[in-house]
Amino acid sequence: MADNTVADSRYNYFFLYDGSKVKGEGDPTRAGICYFYPEETPLDKQELLCGQLAGVSRCVSELSSSPVRLLRLRRSKFAIRMKGDFLWALGCSVDIPDVSICNLLDQLINLFSFYNGPIRKSYQVHSLLIYIYIRCVQLHVMLSPHFSLMFFNRRFFLSINIPPSDLPCIQIYSQEDLAVRWARYLSHLQEGTTELHHIFSCLSTIDSTHIDPLLLLKAALILQACQRCPLVLAGCILFRGRVVSTQMSPDLTVKVMVHETETYNQDQRTNGLSSSSSSGSSLPSPVTFTTVFLTDPELHYLHSAPVDRTTRSQSTQSTPKEVNRPRKSRLLSRTLSDTPPSDPPEPDPARPAPLSLHCPSTPGSSTSDDLLFSPSLSFHTPPGPLSPSPSTVSPQISYHSLPNGKSSHEVEEGVTGGLHDQSLDSLEGGDSESGLIGVGPVQSCDIPHDLNRHNGDSMALDGEKAGALGFRGQNSPGCGRRRTGIVADEKEGHRGKVQLADTGDVPPAPCENSSGPPLTTMTLYQHRVRGLVLALLVEPHFHNDTAAVEEVYHSSLASLNGLEAHLRTTARGGAGPQGPYTFAHYDCIQNTLTTNLSGRPGGAQERSFVRATSLLHSHFSHTEALQEAIVRNAGAAVYATRSVAQETYFLQQGGALRNSGIPNHQDSAFSLPSKARHRLLKHGVNLL
Amino acid sequence: MKCLLIASESAEVLFYWTDPEFEQNIQEQYGASQEEGEKPPAFEDCINTLFAPIIISCSTMVDRLGDGYTSFSTENNHSYVLHQFEECLYIAVNGDGEEGEEDLRRKIYVMKKMIEVLFGVVTLSSPLLRKELRPQDTEQRTRLWKHLQSLLETYSRLKEQDQSFLVEAVERLIHPTLCEQCIEFLERSLVQQINSSVERAGEEVLHAFILVHTKLLAFYSSRNASTLTSSDLLALIIMVQNMYPSNIDLEDCAPEDVENTSAPDIFYTPEPSPTNRDSGTDGDSVSSGRYEESRPEEGSHGGRGTPIFQFVDPDIQMAEDSLQTLECPPHDPSTPSRVFLEVMLKEGCYPMMPHSMYCLPLWPGITLVLLTKIPKSNLAMSIYVFLEAFAKLEKRLSEGLEGSAARGQTSIQDLRNKLDKFIRAVGTVDIQTSALQSVWTEFKSRAFIRGGHGFNRGLVPWCRGMKTQLCGVYRQCFMAENGVGGGGPQRLSPSLQDRALIMVQEKLIDWKDFLLVKSRRNITMVSYLEEFPGLIHFIYIDRTAGQMIAPSLNITDRATSELGKGPLAHFIKGKIWGLVNTSRLYLQKGYSTVTLRDGDYFFCYFLWFENETGYKLEVKELPILPDDSAPIGMLAMDYYRKLLRYYSKNHQGEVVKCYELLTVHLGVIPVEYILQHCSQLARKLWEPSRIPLL
Repeated sequence: MADNTVADSRYNYFFLYDGSKVKGEGDPTRAGICYFYPEETPLDKQELLCGQLAGVSRCVSELSSSPVRLLRLRRSKFAIRMKGDFLWALGCSVDIPDVSICNLLDQLINLFSFYNGPIRKSYQVHSLLIYIYIRCVQLHVMLSPHFSLMFFNRRFFLSINIPPSDLPCIQIYSQEDLAVRWARYLSHLQEGTTELHHIFSCLSTIDSTHIDPLLLLKAALILQACQRCPLVLAGCILFRGRVVSTQMSPDLTVKVMVHETETYNQDQRTNGLSSSSSSGSSLPSPVTFTTVFLTDPELHYLHSAPVDRTTRSQSTQSTPKEVNRPRKSRLLSRTLSDTPPSDPPEPDPARPAPLSLHCPSTPGSSTSDDLLFSPSLSFHTPPGPLSPSPSTVSPQISYHSLPNGKSSHEVEEGVTGGLHDQSLDSLEGGDSESGLIGVGPVQSCDIPHDLNRHNGDSMALDGEKAGALGFRGQNSPGCGRRRTGIVADEKEGHRGKVQLADTGDVPPAPCENSSGPPLTTMTLYQHRVRGLVLALLVEPHFHNDTAAVEEVYHSSLASLNGLEAHLRTTARGGAGPQGPYTFAHYDCIQNTLTTNLSGRPGGAQERSFVRATSLLHSHFSHTEALQEAIVRNAGAAVYATRSVAQETYFLQQGGALRNSGIPNHQDSAFSLPSKARHRLLKHGVNLL
Repeated sequence: MKCLLIASESAEVLFYWTDPEFEQNIQEQYGASQEEGEKPPAFEDCINTLFAPIIISCSTMVDRLGDGYTSFSTENNHSYVLHQFEECLYIAVNGDGEEGEEDLRRKIYVMKKMIEVLFGVVTLSSPLLRKELRPQDTEQRTRLWKHLQSLLETYSRLKEQDQSFLVEAVERLIHPTLCEQCIEFLERSLVQQINSSVERAGEEVLHAFILVHTKLLAFYSSRNASTLTSSDLLALIIMVQNMYPSNIDLEDCAPEDVENTSAPDIFYTPEPSPTNRDSGTDGDSVSSGRYEESRPEEGSHGGRGTPIFQFVDPDIQMAEDSLQTLECPPHDPSTPSRVFLEVMLKEGCYPMMPHSMYCLPLWPGITLVLLTKIPKSNLAMSIYVFLEAFAKLEKRLSEGLEGSAARGQTSIQDLRNKLDKFIRAVGTVDIQTSALQSVWTEFKSRAFIRGGHGFNRGLVPWCRGMKTQLCGVYRQCFMAENGVGGGGPQRLSPSLQDRALIMVQEKLIDWKDFLLVKSRRNITMVSYLEEFPGLIHFIYIDRTAGQMIAPSLNITDRATSELGKGPLAHFIKGKIWGLVNTSRLYLQKGYSTVTLRDGDYFFCYFLWFENETGYKLEVKELPILPDDSAPIGMLAMDYYRKLLRYYSKNHQGEVVKCYELLTVHLGVIPVEYILQHCSQLARKLWEPSRIPLL
């Protein structure tokens, strides 16, 4: 984006090197280079860097019996990750703090495994596939029950279903394809808005000081409403590459954002904002599904989030629907159609299984019973029902004080400006009341399902594996899609049933990896409304649950439109008033940054502020007991303070501090803490 | 898990030092790859094999990428720091978390400094230095490496224990009267007598100083001597400590053996009068404890009929082995150490000029050090001038500036004449000059053909050759075992040394015990508590003079200090050591004021400039240095000297002084009071540092 030129100099190299390919004396180093950025680097320089850094890393890690983390050179430094034979290195200039560059590399690697699964599989199977490919071409046959191969544009995509469970899930891409992905993730990470964002490697969020808090509230409500579909784990709403609201951990949000940012950029480039090539599907193309891979801690985090999941699933199965349904549909009239009661028409023998599998011990299970008997609460408890914070009070009031959906809707009108209320109304009426759920045509949102059906049920096609590529191929939306296979079907007996049920009953398959942490497949649902994106992490079989998809889609569509319209107008507001000071406030828990520093390279004081901040941040990061610091040079004094949850940096602008540097209690530098306390209050930063 | 390695570009180990844990680690790793029954290879070979890939990769990166490694760190927090000086690659490793990268870098620079002090100008020629550091003779090599290893260990110990080595400034004993008396005595009696004696064998005492442990009691420089830089003085103190270590822990053990009933007494600064000490029992017991501790050195270096011998005790002989002291003592204690120190004269600055250092132990813990100028040291100056000229010429030629090299024709003609004269002169004093002569002849024939057109890139190797030859001559003159003249080692005669020793002993005998205690309790925090409530510790440093003042901070399990004893005292000591490191980190990035609230403590650091009358000068933007720049300090690379030079640019004709103050307060004290304390403290401490050094 705008910062690309700056960003380019920030990370000068990135590579992934596979040591297992270079074992013998004669093996060329290039054989081990899986990806090298910048790609135009001459091959001998690539070999030099990979060979030397990998060699030194191995030697040092043998000496210390521990993997290398950082290699510093005089003019650059490399964060290193070593896992098995693989070595990742991310090089940057020496100004970036160690802790930041190491974080960035980890982010990058995690991004890759989030979208592509275990690295080893991605790259190892690559060579295996070439062999298979050649064999298939030679034989002109391929349809073994366990292999399915599709050709597109001389690249090939293959799903393998290997019954032994040691290889339950494999995704295959060509090496160039993987390179495209690395490049994309890399450029995503480089697109921070300011240098400060890079220092903290934080999420870029929407500037909450310039928008109506009600909009944030509304975004949160949309997410909560979506979560009422039991297949939806958590979600976030992004606007123009920035987070508006998220229910996920910061790490996970970053990962989800890559896809969003990429498609957003594509959109801008192709000038086709939310192209309406719905092509017969009930859902237009702005909805995409992507297979993603979650680590156990992430999964645990999602499942332990204070969403009342038990109630949700119980309500679908064990509670009397007569009790629940009427009230629900009344309450739901706002944003979301009624999901849970949609079970009867569905072939549902296996459906409870994944749910109970995922939340056998939801912490809220005891409270859920209570909630069950006070259903008016059960679906609208904002996150943290047991300890409502002031900000969550208002939605509760608005919900519970209103007996019917209409007046609740009026509240919404106030928020959305009534732009889309018509469609909202019609959607609500149409979807939730007419029992569309589950009865609707068995039609999935992406096209190549015919192929899917023919090719064999073992393959679940995610037509939009890579959104970018999907958009690239939008001229021929029917077939120009990359595909991946989730091959996790251990219950082959279900084959032959309705296609949707077929994958629906497959529990999320853990992708065991000998070296990496186990990964579980999930699906990322994304719904784009111009600059706004709703991203939801859903159970893999959500995709095939047309009813659920449509519910989520239609119920959120109107609200998203409204939100987008508002954000679009407010975001144009431009930078707010700048005080005679510079500050940065970093929230370590949410991983967000609030600052009044503009993204453009500023004056000497701003540079000095950034330098001091980077130094102090790395000092904070390795000194636990440090709470406060003031550092001063001839030109500027910076005050920094931190607590468990936040770090704040403050610089008072103004004329050069005239001082001798000798201790003097009247020195203006030492009044910074009180100044910061006062000034930052109006930015919502409380240092008291 | 610590290690320091010096390797040549061809991955040959020129020196190594490891602690036992590292050695064990290496041997285990190597043992694993060894086949059964095979004899484990020599440790030197193991270390060579294991580090060789790193060393080779380092030079590959420099050659092909123009960028070398500076440090590595691993996930279990092992640190590796690498630095290349000319053709020698230094690698320092820490795997126990006790040293950070900054510490390792400092260690590397200190090692280099010690090598410079020991080998002088020879270090400027890589091939010669390689030979010097790795003698062919195994026994000789072992002896040299042991010596260097023990110097490094001494430095590490001092840096851990001694505040003056923490901040790299000399600490003086605060006792103005005695200090003045001693200086006067050194000047009027000692130095005068030696320099007028016929037994001085052509040497001339330039500097004389008395050390009590690591603290300076008195320092005298003769009129025509250049000042001794702080860097050199600190390096010399390390050498003295290496010869006569004063191990604090052992000292504190000792008083227990003798009845010591008045332990709390040493809590306070002792009375400055020696008579009090004589009557007190505790003084005696403390000092006798010290004698026991460092007796072994006396046993090996004594032989002078000094009163020390009355303390000989059979038990001590056993202790000798456990006290890993110098394992290869100089064969004759009266043989001086050759040291190479910077000399600043009107004509210019000559680094690494040869001196002789005589360490005369007055009593354990108290040492008289004499630095003498040796005959023919003007030869060293000439050689240095030639070396510099060739280095400049080489630089200009390799940069392709033949024009400017040619423009320097007159100076080259000058150089030619001088060098011709020099070779003739040197030839007469029994020095092998044939190699120098032949290279010089070759150089001349190439350079001065066709009216100076020979000055081109092709001459570069010949410049190097000349440098190597000059360093070789220098080595012959000042490094060879028996020095110049063949007739026995060059030195002040032993009897002259003995007389000097006895003179000073007589002068200080009454003060001895007092000094030993005073050195441990130089100034005490209690005297500041009333005026500065909440102040825990401070360090005040005059960087222009290279001196520091700080309350003593002896943390041992036996002695109680102001900080109390046990874990809390160790904790605070750790905080202070950490604060010094932190302040350097910020200073490196141009910050001259830092305050930190760290847990229950509040730290302040200030650096400022004054003129001679104490007028505070306005702070200037300080240079921002890269992460791998030379460590901030005075011992290895004098950062503050450069800083002062940089600052003085705008204050020409004015003496600029640089001060630092570090304080540790209790965190509960309001910040305004803390800052007030700091400014009062700075005012109060300004006075004592006025005591004349000379």
